Amino acid sequence: MKDDTLRKEYDVIVIGGGATGAGTARDCAMRGLKTILIERLDFTAGATGRNHGLLHSGARYAHTDPESAAECIKENMILKRIAHHCIEETGGLFVSLPEDGLDYHAAFVEDCRKAGISAEELDPKEALRLEPSVNPDIIGAVKVPDGSVDPFRLTTANVMAAKMNGADVLTYQEVVGFLKEGTAITGVKLRSRRDGTEREIRGKVTINAAGIWGHRLAELAGVKLNMYPAKGSLLIFGHRINRMVLNRCRKPGDADILVPGDTICVIGTTSTRIPYDQIDNMEVTPEEVDLLLREGVKLSPAMAWTRILRAYAGVRPLVASDDDPTGRSISRGIVCIDHAKRDGLEGFITITGGKLMTYRLMAEEATDMACQKLGVNKECHTAEIPLPGSEDTAEDKKRRSHIIELSTEQKAAEDRHGTLTGKIVSDDDAADALVCECEQVSVGEVNYAIEELNVHNLVNLRRRTRLGMGTCQGELCACRGAGLLERHDKCTQRSLDDLASFLDERWHGMYPVCWGETLVEIQFTSWLYEGVCGLDPSEVNVSDNPTQH
Amino acid sequence: MMTLQQQNISDNNFESCIKCTICTVYCPVTAVNPDYPGPKQAGPDGERYRLKKPLYYDEALKYCLNCKRCEVACPNDVRIGDIIQSARIKYGRHRPSLRDSMLADTDTVGTMASAFAPIVNFTLGLKPVKLLMDTFLGIDDHRTFPKYSSLKFESWYKKNAAEEQEKFDRKVAYFHGCYVNYNYPQLGMDFIKVFNAIGIGVMLLDKEKCCGVAKIANRCVKDATRDAEINLKSIREAVGNGMDVMLTSSTCCFTIRDEYSHVLKLENSDVRDHISLATRELFRLVDEGKVKLVFRKDFHKRVAYHVPCHMEKLGWGIYSSSLMKMIPGLDLVRLDPHCCGIAGTYGFKKEYYNYSQAIGEPLFRQLLESNLDSVATDCETCKWQIEMSTGLTVENPISLIAQALDIEATRAANKAGI
Amino acid sequence: MKFDTIIIGGGLSGLISAIECARAGRKTAIVSAGQSALHFWSGSFELLGNVDGKAVIDNPLDLVPSLPAPHPYRKIGAERLRKLLSRVPEILKEAGLKSYGTLDRNHLRLTPLGFMKPAWLTLGDYVAVDADKPLPWKKVAIVNIYSYLDFYPRFLAHGLENRGVKCSMAAVNIPELNVLRKSTTEMRATNMSRFFTDEAVDHLAAEVNKVAGDADAVIMPAVLGIYSDAPVERFRKAVKMPVWFVPTTPASVPGVRCQLSLRDLFIRLGGEFLPGDTVKGGEFEGNRLKRIFTVNLGDMPLEADDFIISTGSFFGHGLIADIERIYEPVFGLDLNVKGGRTEWYEKDFYASQPYMTYGVITDDKFHPYKNGEEIENLYATGALLAGFNALKEGSGAGITLATALHAASCITE
Repeated sequence: MKDDTLRKEYDVIVIGGGATGAGTARDCAMRGLKTILIERLDFTAGATGRNHGLLHSGARYAHTDPESAAECIKENMILKRIAHHCIEETGGLFVSLPEDGLDYHAAFVEDCRKAGISAEELDPKEALRLEPSVNPDIIGAVKVPDGSVDPFRLTTANVMAAKMNGADVLTYQEVVGFLKEGTAITGVKLRSRRDGTEREIRGKVTINAAGIWGHRLAELAGVKLNMYPAKGSLLIFGHRINRMVLNRCRKPGDADILVPGDTICVIGTTSTRIPYDQIDNMEVTPEEVDLLLREGVKLSPAMAWTRILRAYAGVRPLVASDDDPTGRSISRGIVCIDHAKRDGLEGFITITGGKLMTYRLMAEEATDMACQKLGVNKECHTAEIPLPGSEDTAEDKKRRSHIIELSTEQKAAEDRHGTLTGKIVSDDDAADALVCECEQVSVGEVNYAIEELNVHNLVNLRRRTRLGMGTCQGELCACRGAGLLERHDKCTQRSLDDLASFLDERWHGMYPVCWGETLVEIQFTSWLYEGVCGLDPSEVNVSDNPTQH
Repeated sequence: MMTLQQQNISDNNFESCIKCTICTVYCPVTAVNPDYPGPKQAGPDGERYRLKKPLYYDEALKYCLNCKRCEVACPNDVRIGDIIQSARIKYGRHRPSLRDSMLADTDTVGTMASAFAPIVNFTLGLKPVKLLMDTFLGIDDHRTFPKYSSLKFESWYKKNAAEEQEKFDRKVAYFHGCYVNYNYPQLGMDFIKVFNAIGIGVMLLDKEKCCGVAKIANRCVKDATRDAEINLKSIREAVGNGMDVMLTSSTCCFTIRDEYSHVLKLENSDVRDHISLATRELFRLVDEGKVKLVFRKDFHKRVAYHVPCHMEKLGWGIYSSSLMKMIPGLDLVRLDPHCCGIAGTYGFKKEYYNYSQAIGEPLFRQLLESNLDSVATDCETCKWQIEMSTGLTVENPISLIAQALDIEATRAANKAGI
Repeated sequence: MKFDTIIIGGGLSGLISAIECARAGRKTAIVSAGQSALHFWSGSFELLGNVDGKAVIDNPLDLVPSLPAPHPYRKIGAERLRKLLSRVPEILKEAGLKSYGTLDRNHLRLTPLGFMKPAWLTLGDYVAVDADKPLPWKKVAIVNIYSYLDFYPRFLAHGLENRGVKCSMAAVNIPELNVLRKSTTEMRATNMSRFFTDEAVDHLAAEVNKVAGDADAVIMPAVLGIYSDAPVERFRKAVKMPVWFVPTTPASVPGVRCQLSLRDLFIRLGGEFLPGDTVKGGEFEGNRLKRIFTVNLGDMPLEADDFIISTGSFFGHGLIADIERIYEPVFGLDLNVKGGRTEWYEKDFYASQPYMTYGVITDDKFHPYKNGEEIENLYATGALLAGFNALKEGSGAGITLATALHAASCITE
């Protein structure tokens, strides 16, 4: 986006390109506010892109946090309606192992019913029939409406909706300061992460939707926000082991959820408090890998011999709703703070806490507050109007995906882009050629992503299309992707640097699980790129922190 | 952690694929048919998507020949061909057609055809009949049908051989296969002649059904499984009686040893090592010095050895070729490994006929340029294809050995007189 | 079944030693578990391209004494290396492959991304230039095949323009390829090369002539001549200026060509090539390997006087890593691996990765050890060996070839 297309002054500046920020920008724009969304890296670069991708039914919280559970099931139903192209209604099982006993199970079913979550008790044999991958030793099982949600797709769809409603969007712009007039925030100072240039943008209200990074932003704005980063690590397996989401029916603990998502499945998580200065250095330790496997095989024994593609970790922001530094009053629910009320700082709102499942509700609360500040009286419609890509009914979607004549890559594109698939140019054989063969990404889809979905580098392209997320982790497609990006970007050296950085980024998730075929794959990748292609640090600049794209 | 991730490959080992694309270099179908997605896409890549949603199954997988050349080439031991065949069976939407069922049911068709062999052979050769089959059944009218024999091998055996075989101390069981039984009993007779000459009696299995290769290829899995279970029962019985089971067809042998467990998911590990090709067993006996072969001095032939795809997969071409190299009058011509294109019933189908011939073309060219007396191969369908496409005579290595062997001298050398 | 020499592994190393053994009249067999890493070959063999991060041009063999002690080159010694490696161009020629280069001086090869890297031998039709001279062209036409994704004209142009060459870019098509293009995945170099025969070559040349303009040379992806030189020769005759090829990402045409040519040469020399079979283990008598068992041959072992194991690194499954350990799967040979999995790697992708240096340890004659005992009729060669990082040194092919020739000469002399 060219600078001159940006307005001088906005009603709302939303900081943070995760699901919450994107959802907030969408809501604000839909209510007619002049809105800009600012992200320091790429969309979904933070916690949004680093979780299970679980479409909670709320069952997990039914016992410990009934309020969250009720929120979850409500949002679950809404998302199935407005974002069905990002969602797979797999159903979920809560299973009890002999070591878990059946006490929790009994209370669990009751709690689910109270929270309005359909919970059907199954005979273990029936559960095993429904989900053959589950541990055959289970002694109890409950079926709930869990599913999977693709957070990349969901966020992109919210960004698109915001743009369609007139919002501006900037990525790779970091907030390095705030503009203040008296006791009011009146804008932000930005520095480009790509070329270092700085600029100012003015806005009547600024919404801090930056997740754990919101702590630092608040500091920059001169107010105190106590957040406690909790790291959660996860493993991605090479293909789907399970059809349904598998949960342990016990008090939430480590490695107790296995979610089938797109072509893969994910086991997680661990939970460790980490120092705040480590939030940009997410690394999965060998101990965490061992723990995830040891606990994971109890859910589904196949994990013991299934290829692991990579490991990753995200940071949950645990928020104290006051500024008590001890963190005793940590809330797991949604926290929406009017800093004028709490700190006497006008024009500044923080929306945090919550979870991916409740991003829309969080956006609604933050937008309500912004509207109130701006004196705008407009209702929220984000729960009724479908997101771009889901602008048909779930039945239509089903009908479309049943067209047998579609090729595999066309079916895959339908799954990824829903009703927007038509935007992918497929007018000749050249556009249909596959760039990423593992994930069935065509030249047409790559070009569409580059042209319309804020793609500047291979990591962006990966998040928009799944290029490089498959079995070979970029071995076959990274080069092809770089070649196509270069055609648009026209800066050859930057493309080569990007290619080199992308391989390093892929490796970062592979080394924690680097044995078996993963080690074979990376040796092959190295031979190919560093050996045959001669791509080494004497020729290119590799970006410093592989997690910062 | 001792038991975790020691072998990080699932049963369906598609995930060992590291996307090196080598299989696509050696796939004979990819080279001639752009509608086929290629072994990598059809196999490991597609499997991940089929596990996501069965809807991702692509009907174009039917173009796979199941030649297993992808598996022979794969550096990571991915069972690409098995993955594709299993997917066809599991996800294929269309029921096998009348044509496919007929081509697959070699036993029923063979029994009927044998009974009326002269008429059938005459009729199948008639242009109008071929055109009718082409139009109504989709069996290509260019295709020459194998001739049916009026005397089934099993009947011949009972009448002419069974009694004598009882006299041998050492015996093997013979899985003759449909081809020997219905089309070409001579091969079975050759096998008995050779093995008798080295002092080994040849028994038939209690009950033998078609090995099932054609049924598997045509997705008639229920029938294939039923036949396979009958065969395995007979094989177990023979093995229990101290007999190894010999075959003269590499495809039947491969099917029973490998496809039964990999594709039909039947347990055969208890008898697998007792199922072998006649050439392999013969080579072993010669190599271990237990048997001597004496060849005639008046045998002279220039022969090219075509290693059938399934023989390549078995890895046993070396036994047939080593045996043929022992024949002094046999001038053995080496060929570049190449699929002949027929792949059992595949080449009979109208929609594949042209692909089938295009796949085999490099092989036919080599053969026609080699000034041969005959072609040796261990597979009957390769034989039909090569004979039809080149006009050359094609013989099983066992038949060549039977022709070249000085039977009396061999008997004497092995003290096999009875 | 009895042989004089059995080679486990049908890649570059196995093929070269097998060829030399067969030529010396020994009854030789190769057991090859699937196709090899040679399929990704760039068309150039490296000898020693980098020492301490600096490119090596002149007299690479002079640097052998400065390499760390367990390095295979040190075990062979510079003088013997020269003698052994000088055989390589002759063997390639016999297999029908023309090559360019000398042991005294590295040239530069052009990589698929447009970088120039030191190399020792390069196939005749591939870009190989003198390191110290300006490039031999003022202007080149970089010509791709329309819609082919594994060739990067703009990256190549970037590299060449940095060296003062003007580049024009174009993509051409011939109707013969349209059928292949219908497949979304099979527009690969090796598949295309099967279409470039006879008249199709002339058609391609005509299209190239149309777009090449006044360039001094044409640079094309290596998509011709997978089975023989004939299409390449026909093409070069029909194009009005010199044509040079750049390898593509896998599988590469020069790689498959080299694999098949060397295999054919081996078979012509009377060798037995057993494809698609895996050696499960062996039986030893004292310090000698007597026989090996394979998956396909089952209970019928292969016996030999001498064995060579050249099963490669992790890619070839010469080494296998599980969550706890790295091992040599055929015989359980002794390795130089120390520590658990966290010791195997560096977090920076481009650092020298410890796993790359893992392999079988041997004595100076390349006899490996099993439980500390040397096996006197077994040789280990190629990427399976310990003690070097071929990627960082630019030494992979040289080590592979030298150790293979060394083992063969020990066996045959």
